[in-house]
Amino acid sequence: MDATKGLRHSIGACALLCATAAAANAQEDPVVIGFIGSMSSDVGLSTLRGAEIAIDELNAAGGVLGGRQITLVTADTFEDVTEGIKAYEYLNDVENVDFIVSGSIDDVSLGWFERMAEYRTPTLDTWTSYIGIIDMVVADYDKYKMYFMNIGNDYALATSLIDFGKDMLAGEMGWKSTVILQEDTAFGNGTGEFLAAELSSQAGVEILDQIVYDINAVDFAPIFNKAVSLDPDFLYLISSVNSQVPSSQYVKLQVPVPMTGINVAAIGRDFWDDTGGTGGGASTFSPLPASGMDHDPASQQFVDTYQERYDTRPIYPHFNGFNAYFGIKNAVAAAERAGGFAPLDAWVEEMENTDLVLEKDGQLWHRFAYWKKGEIEPRTGREYTHNLKFDITEPYDDGVPPMAIVQWYQDGQQRIIYPPKYANGEFELPPWIEQ
Amino acid sequence: MINVLIQGLALSGLYALLAVGFTMIFSVGRVLNLAYGVYIMLGGYMYYTAVQVLGLPKIGGFAFAIASGIAFGVLTYTILVRRLEDNPVAVEIATLILAVVMQSLIILIYRPVSKSMWPVVQGVFRYEGVFVTYNLLVAMVVSWVALAGLLLFVRYTRYGRAIQAVSMDRKGAVISGIDPRQMNLATWAISGALGALAGVFFATYTQLNPSMWVGPLIVAVAVVVVGGIGSIIGSLIVAHIIGFMETFTTALIAAELRGVFTMILIIVVLVVAPKGLFGRSEL
Amino acid sequence: MPKSQFHRYLLCWLAFGAFMCLVPLFASTGMVRVLIFANFLAIFAMSWDIISGRTGYISFGHPFLIGIAGYTTAILTRHLDAPLYVSIPLAILATLVGGALFFVPALRIRGTYFALVTLAFMELMYQLTQVIAPKITGGTRGLSGLKTIILGAVPNYYLSFFVMFAIAFCLWLIVRTRIGSALAAIRMDEEAVTALGLSTFKLKLFAFGTSAAVAGIGGALYVHYIGSIAPRALFDINFLFTILVAALLGGSGTIAGPILGAYFLTFLLEYLRPFLSGAERYLIYGAITLIVYVLEPRGLHSILERAYARIAPALARGFAR
Repeated sequence: MDATKGLRHSIGACALLCATAAAANAQEDPVVIGFIGSMSSDVGLSTLRGAEIAIDELNAAGGVLGGRQITLVTADTFEDVTEGIKAYEYLNDVENVDFIVSGSIDDVSLGWFERMAEYRTPTLDTWTSYIGIIDMVVADYDKYKMYFMNIGNDYALATSLIDFGKDMLAGEMGWKSTVILQEDTAFGNGTGEFLAAELSSQAGVEILDQIVYDINAVDFAPIFNKAVSLDPDFLYLISSVNSQVPSSQYVKLQVPVPMTGINVAAIGRDFWDDTGGTGGGASTFSPLPASGMDHDPASQQFVDTYQERYDTRPIYPHFNGFNAYFGIKNAVAAAERAGGFAPLDAWVEEMENTDLVLEKDGQLWHRFAYWKKGEIEPRTGREYTHNLKFDITEPYDDGVPPMAIVQWYQDGQQRIIYPPKYANGEFELPPWIEQ
Repeated sequence: MINVLIQGLALSGLYALLAVGFTMIFSVGRVLNLAYGVYIMLGGYMYYTAVQVLGLPKIGGFAFAIASGIAFGVLTYTILVRRLEDNPVAVEIATLILAVVMQSLIILIYRPVSKSMWPVVQGVFRYEGVFVTYNLLVAMVVSWVALAGLLLFVRYTRYGRAIQAVSMDRKGAVISGIDPRQMNLATWAISGALGALAGVFFATYTQLNPSMWVGPLIVAVAVVVVGGIGSIIGSLIVAHIIGFMETFTTALIAAELRGVFTMILIIVVLVVAPKGLFGRSEL
Repeated sequence: MPKSQFHRYLLCWLAFGAFMCLVPLFASTGMVRVLIFANFLAIFAMSWDIISGRTGYISFGHPFLIGIAGYTTAILTRHLDAPLYVSIPLAILATLVGGALFFVPALRIRGTYFALVTLAFMELMYQLTQVIAPKITGGTRGLSGLKTIILGAVPNYYLSFFVMFAIAFCLWLIVRTRIGSALAAIRMDEEAVTALGLSTFKLKLFAFGTSAAVAGIGGALYVHYIGSIAPRALFDINFLFTILVAALLGGSGTIAGPILGAYFLTFLLEYLRPFLSGAERYLIYGAITLIVYVLEPRGLHSILERAYARIAPALARGFAR
């Protein structure tokens, strides 16, 4: 780690010495990186800002690929599938990008996915975790090999959630029954089905009911009433879209049963202000590196730079900000080794050989590497070609788990409570529930 | 069962308040204002700005919301609708476009991120395993008070009767010396105020979001379509039909089908009984 | 209409067609890609205009028709592995059935209420595609990785342009006949048309059928160009807004108007991209349309026509000299 930093500094010094030559070269022929994603959502902005910081650091260190500067061009998807396709075309046809970093949600990524195969532009996703995309890369490697997903997929994530249910909810809390509240989306239904089957068989938690709700639902009182009337030990929320609605109504209604699960709104640090300071006791999954965790030095440095540079929402980078920052560093490093982003095969090969390990106190804390073609993950027994390398078996010495559980406290603090390796806080329930 | 009834009642009260401003414009001006959802959105965002950003007291938030509702209602009428007045179809198209424009404006100012609003009244009403927020109960009471006030205004004040006269017989009203444009303007102002007031409760009940205007608009459309042209009592009844239907669907059938029945109701009523279930009665 | 005028318009169409055929020779790939979207938008706007601009039955549910076509061909090719020459005609047929669903309420209601029913159709479809049989429709994520007809910007440009041009030309020939004037008469006064002994039933059925067929052709080709289909991209007020705005801004009740509007808007949006990203672009989009609509409800087409009428004599004099 220190060695790379030293190396980067010496490159920087070197670049300063021959500044004139480098600058002239850079202005003639910059490397163009495209950003595609929603430029007004917290998540999209996290990716964009992660990319901005990475690119500025690379440029300040003297540029890449023989002193060329990087230019960042952006294309907004408005979280709309068709706009996403147009944006992808724009980046390629008009801006002639060398590489694309994406902060798209899953249906948008699926929209431009075929365009990517047509243009064959190296592309790194930081937010979509849809397993179906990875399956396409597995099934047709040659067609889609330019794609890398720099976040653990949702199948791995669900497996991790089962462990949380087994160890913490059933094991530690002694909870034996639940009602699942799942949003009616592909993500909600997929995760919900998986959880319902595995929670009972693996963790021994009885599923009293599984309530599917419409993502445009505005009134959760009947849903909570129905759930509470079944007398479960806890509620399991699965909500990735509009999750402020169920979570804020849970607080407003002071529902007398604990609730945990997936509540995407509670991942970011802005949640506290959004709820007007009433979010204490909420807990949710978050991909790593999560807000509220103790970071390794490199990630902490990224956070510091981020907070120094931006004072608007999101006030703290979401996980995908880290994914974009380190993902771009990886992609550029692979290009350096391969002699550029083209030819594609050389870059893909070098990208597959990437292994960025971030350590904290001598322990593996984070790892940005990617599953290779044909490599089998031992626990689930299947391939995850070009997905971020994750580890779903304790003690997580080969990679990070796909997610952690983030807990909000009454004083507005955010900490990690699961898995134990990353935990720095305790599970806590909302104040109106007697423990 | 009792909780379904209580929640249905509370929700229906809110829906009645949401729909009444829309109904008024339709009965007086004979046009459908598809930008009506914007008043609701505006009410929510202005209250939020006043109370949660500027730190004003809640009463100031209401004043701010209602004033902006009135202003926007009057502006919509004078700048857009008055120019297209003879053509209800043109008004319908133009107000739909206006709604999308306003949605973009809200995104521009407040970003597309959803925001939670603090309830106007804190606390939860609990009874035998039923829980309803005081906020929603207050919304229901406010809704009844506002509707009763409106009914009294229309029936017993000179101005209100003039508005009613225009809604029943425009030509007749002109002959008896009433200026229909002025009455229309007043209606749009009242509608804006009611929409914004409903918006404050709707937003505290749910959340603030730039596309939050669509849901209430569909409820308002359903109320007008099913209730027939511009009857306040008819609207009240239909708001309860829709409110209870949604609550029953969520609690007893399947939560994800909640909106489907409202849509089917609109289609069936329009095709089978285009005049609505309650036909034309007085305002 | 005098014969010389017919020839002059014909000449205009041919000149337009010839010019557009040459575009890929000098335009960048980026512009060609933009034009493909403009062509599709023009098809949708023309389809809308046949019902709404001509007969006055305002459809707020056009995405519903386009969506039926799109989903039919997407599902057939994805799940049954049907070839495109089977799935696309079937999709158009399905859209005709959908158009008939529109037609039933149109027998009883018109004007503002008709618009509401069609809007309800669209919203209903949005919810149903997610709730009913998500395994087949792909639920909220929709279906992606669909077959493409041809690859590459320029071939797709020619495909989309020829289809658009053929539709426009056929529609132009149709509206020049007595059917065209009868349809316009329905907008003005439906009773008067009946009084003349014409069957409004047959005329409306014709208009709805034509509109649905055009929407079906456009929708089916569109999803196979895009390669994916999702409920949020289709059954959405923003998509409806784009179609409406293209037809109205260009000039409804004409053939050239919707094409003009579609090209104008697509280019406006793409050229604003580097300067304004995000919601500002839609704001400008809508604001321009509102202003034009209030000042000149017949759109840019009418404004240009009047400008031409003013300039033409001067030009003629210039040439004469």
